[in-house]
Amino acid sequence: MNQHPRVHQRWSYWKGWPLLGKSVGALMLLLIYFPLFWLALMSISERPLSGIPFPLSLEHYAALWQDTRWIGPFGASLAMALLIGVLCAVCATYVGRALPLTRRPGRLMLLLVLPLFIPGMSMGAALFILTRTVLGLKLGFWSIAVGHFIWAFPFALLIIMVLTTRFDHRLIEAGADLGASKWQIFRDIELPLLRPGIVGATLFGFLLSFNEMLRTLFLRGTTETMPVWNWIMASSQQSQVPIIFALTTLVLLVTLPLFLGLFWILFVRLERQ
Amino acid sequence: MSTSIPDTQAQVAPSSLAAKTPWRALLGRVDWPLALFLAAWFLAVVVPLLGVVVYSFFETKSFFTVYTPSLNTWASIFDSGRFEVILRTLRIAFTVTAVELVLAFAFSLWLAKGHASRTVKAMTLALMTVPFFLDLSSRTIIWRALLGENGPLIPLFIGIGLVEPGSAGILYSEWAVHFGMVIALFPTMMLPVYIAISLVDDALIDASNDLGASPWQTLTGVIIPLSLPGVIAGVLFTLGSAMAAWVEPSMLGGGFVNLLSNSIESAYSALRYPVLAALTTLIMLILGVLVLAFVLIGRRFGDLSSSFRILRS
Repeated sequence: MNQHPRVHQRWSYWKGWPLLGKSVGALMLLLIYFPLFWLALMSISERPLSGIPFPLSLEHYAALWQDTRWIGPFGASLAMALLIGVLCAVCATYVGRALPLTRRPGRLMLLLVLPLFIPGMSMGAALFILTRTVLGLKLGFWSIAVGHFIWAFPFALLIIMVLTTRFDHRLIEAGADLGASKWQIFRDIELPLLRPGIVGATLFGFLLSFNEMLRTLFLRGTTETMPVWNWIMASSQQSQVPIIFALTTLVLLVTLPLFLGLFWILFVRLERQ
Repeated sequence: MSTSIPDTQAQVAPSSLAAKTPWRALLGRVDWPLALFLAAWFLAVVVPLLGVVVYSFFETKSFFTVYTPSLNTWASIFDSGRFEVILRTLRIAFTVTAVELVLAFAFSLWLAKGHASRTVKAMTLALMTVPFFLDLSSRTIIWRALLGENGPLIPLFIGIGLVEPGSAGILYSEWAVHFGMVIALFPTMMLPVYIAISLVDDALIDASNDLGASPWQTLTGVIIPLSLPGVIAGVLFTLGSAMAAWVEPSMLGGGFVNLLSNSIESAYSALRYPVLAALTTLIMLILGVLVLAFVLIGRRFGDLSSSFRILRS
């Protein structure tokens, strides 16, 4: 037998190592998701800031119904998220189809995913300095939209590129040979094949924009989106804090089904392609 | 004949023609919407980042920006007690990243090369991706109630010996900030590390086992070198987010744990835009140096591009 001393690392054969790795992950998932359940529980308890759930009550939902100040930020966030979702889908579909045909797709790709590597705060501050102080523009909805688009587009592009890089271009040639116009080829051949990617890009754009805060903070001007409003409420320790719990719980109830859709696309639909 | 004309011209002025005709042909072939999009993208992403570097060499005097290049803003960053903030930010960011790396590597190794089923893998990846999209401040505020003075977790902490009985809990301390950041950044580290480990060929691991290597030898000799690019990507993503972390230090540090992001925020509210620019540049500079260092380290341990080739095929 090999008598090399390093072979006798008995401890590394210990049966507990896999279990240890597994429990680390389980613990982290618990710590990530526990606040969400606690948030929902707190939204129906009487004194959510105390950290103790009981006694239960629905008064915060009633207060939310009475209060109207959250409607503005919520509407702004929703409109922004819809806009970014559609923009991401359209631009990512166009760029994702055109990019593999260019001469240097790798370098252009690097330029397009650059925002992924830049901390949100830095990107927000950089855009703020250029638009507000150098160009002297008035910030508002449009500047938030620019910041959100820069953040969400790389994700949308990556998901479309998964499909376009595997796309069989003989299908397009066949369509052209059979006399189809460019638009017909796109509508009847490419669109059905790219559809899961396009839906995924829209969902990514919507969700990333809806929850973005660090960039919005610098680019908001006088417009408030919901994460910023939540942040201001939460950090100022106002008496309105309980409303946030109720509001965030409602938002979670809407967002989580969207995630189910997104993952169904990512793991079931794209896998089938 | 049309072909003879360029021939004769080519003899007179070959260089100017060669530059002209393909250029015109190229103009026809250029994908204009794509070119416009790329130009707009360059204006919206690269120009602000370069602009912020330039802007950091200006300074503010009585609320007005003076557009004469100087190093005064940079000098002010490093005296006025901010140097301490920079060191604290780096210390916390590196600690959090190191903890993340150990946790994420252990879990990813089990998930990728243990006996996890396909469903478990897909479910875990989905659960790890969802937090990226959720509002961080409303998730972090929960820990404030749980870690605070009367929080239900305090008896547990007293039991471990982390907290003195009767003290104010661990809220508003560096412990709480570390805790919040480790939770928030776990998916950032885990996803690249997991992808890298799952790309390591099972045949190589089996071969290593068959040749009599212990699991530890297989880990250090096969899995770690082959997954290094993903690990480096994870470390960079995590370090970047940790250095710019803001929600956790503000909410769980409660003003007692000042990081660079708090300096950025206060420079922003105080209208001291050159300082804001210099701090932003500093963060990007530190990140850039780290990227360079890791690329060099990665090159010593193995060919980085080889793993990208796997992704491409």
